[in-house]
Amino acid sequence: MTRLHIENLQAKYGEKLILNNINLSVEEGEMIALLGPSGCGKTTLLNALCGFVPISQGDIFSGDRVITHLPAEKRNITMVFQSYALWPHMTVAENIGYGLKVRKVKRAEIQSRVNELLRIVKLDNLQDEKVTALSGGQRQRVALARALAIRPDVLVLDEPLSNLDAKVRLNVRHEIKALQKQLGFTSLIVTHDQEEALVMADKIAVLHKGEIVQVGTPEEIYNKPNSPFVADFMGAENRIEWPTEKDGFSDSSHKITLHQSSNNEPSNQPKQVYFRSENVILSTRQTNSKIQKEEGLILTGHIEQSAFFGSNYRISVRCGMHIIQVDHTSDLPMNTPVSLQVPNHALYIYDNIVENKVHQKSTVV
Amino acid sequence: MRFKASYNLWLIAPAALMVAVFFLYPLYFSLYSAITLDNGSFTLTHLEKAFELYSNDILFTIMLVCVSVFILAILSITIAATIALSPFKRITSLLGFLYRLPLFIPFIVTAQMMRTFLAKNGLMNNAFVEAGLLTPMETISLLGWSGIIITFVWKQMAFSTLLISGAMAALDESQIRAARNLGASKIRILFEVMLPQITPTLGVAMVLSTVTMMSVLSVPLMIGTGSPTMMSADMAFRVNSYGDYHVANALGLVSYLICAGLAWFYLRQSLKDKGAVA
Repeated sequence: MTRLHIENLQAKYGEKLILNNINLSVEEGEMIALLGPSGCGKTTLLNALCGFVPISQGDIFSGDRVITHLPAEKRNITMVFQSYALWPHMTVAENIGYGLKVRKVKRAEIQSRVNELLRIVKLDNLQDEKVTALSGGQRQRVALARALAIRPDVLVLDEPLSNLDAKVRLNVRHEIKALQKQLGFTSLIVTHDQEEALVMADKIAVLHKGEIVQVGTPEEIYNKPNSPFVADFMGAENRIEWPTEKDGFSDSSHKITLHQSSNNEPSNQPKQVYFRSENVILSTRQTNSKIQKEEGLILTGHIEQSAFFGSNYRISVRCGMHIIQVDHTSDLPMNTPVSLQVPNHALYIYDNIVENKVHQKSTVV
Repeated sequence: MRFKASYNLWLIAPAALMVAVFFLYPLYFSLYSAITLDNGSFTLTHLEKAFELYSNDILFTIMLVCVSVFILAILSITIAATIALSPFKRITSLLGFLYRLPLFIPFIVTAQMMRTFLAKNGLMNNAFVEAGLLTPMETISLLGWSGIIITFVWKQMAFSTLLISGAMAALDESQIRAARNLGASKIRILFEVMLPQITPTLGVAMVLSTVTMMSVLSVPLMIGTGSPTMMSADMAFRVNSYGDYHVANALGLVSYLICAGLAWFYLRQSLKDKGAVA
């Protein structure tokens, strides 16, 4: 069953169009991540859902209810804020029970619901603490419990983890996901962190300049990005434009070739090629021979820089005008001549014309 | 290079001297004068005389100030809350401009204005008569205690609204949003989320307003009916008519104690709140 449905939504700040033509359905019990760089409109979308930002066009349905123009307090959509937004003059229990108190639920019932939630978010025995005495991770869990206490139709989370330090963030991320599976609440989470989106969400909607550019499962978004923007945003940061005559590959030590089995197109058609650093196979000249037989993108160049990343080295390879980032297991000295191979399945190739279309559309926004 | 402590003391000396000469010495002298005879020996006669002659006025002053501060608090909170919570941004920005105007009008001008506005044949009554709401026989003068309250509230409202409005604007917007999407109405948000957090500022605004009201001379002189009147008018009378600085200072001591009592109450309250947080 569709719990939340957004149709042709448009929102403006004054004359400036922030969200345009947003269409999204969230099924009961599903968690959708809104992923995008800062300024793409993802938080505005959450605020529009909650009723904090007026909508200039389109409709929002919660179940069968049209909630497009309902005031925030009547929507039954609760938010978990980036800044926690707990009320410092109330205790943990008062914060969590507030929504129920507003709904005139009986005191004993509030008490038992608060205790239940405290147990769920693992904050038992802290009910009488002032929220100012809690750590960041505990505060965010109180905020989560507060938002869940009234059993909202939809829970929205606005970058709930970005104020937490790295280790706590992983814990809370895991806990939110586990809770979502256990309690089955319908939720939307805003994030700019692609890893967070991949781990937590059932589906991801990638936003770019106020429009949704791709919706799909994490696997689809990661493995089949439908546009250069999504590919780049999902970590395929190495980019080469085709043709490459002006890119300095004329030199004998810097070469580039692209072999594709299903290559029916003329190779001089303008194209953009994206790939991830982890999919690049690096070999020094001695091990060269075995690579050449395979297909894909093959580049030669020399090493310009090497940085230690813990589990591997991130090596910057100069190939003509391009610097290609490569993950490699061992450190290599500067200026070592190397060849790089990217298998066909790891290449994301887009016609330049399509990119121009996307570009034109986004400049309208 | 570290300076010795004595060098550091020289740095604060000019400022300390200013405070001592222009504030501490006059304050000390007025308190001293309130409880000593001309020959310097300790006495309570001035205080006794002050209470004997002016206890009605002291009570009158306390009552007026209490009522004014109470009305002031309600009105300032209402205006500040309207500005903070109203969805109609254009109207609230106009309101935000209007409420500040009295800040720039001195008390004596306000008093003169209120005199011509509130009198029996003043602007307000004339307007009612013209509108056919009252006949000239039915008009009543609001000069007197009610006029003093109206003037105090009118003048101090700008100041206290400014403080309260600022405190409300400083609250995290997402705290208010959180309450809204849990279903709280605006009134609930005001009383349960905003007011508890701005109590310290409200306290400051009210204490400072009290001190201002206690010290204004022009308003009771121009709008009051003479008897009973406020302590500031009594002090002026003692000095101007009798040259009696002792009783005037004794009245000053009383008004100082009233303000100090209030400040103590406020400080205790805010310390208690802080203690609970820590």
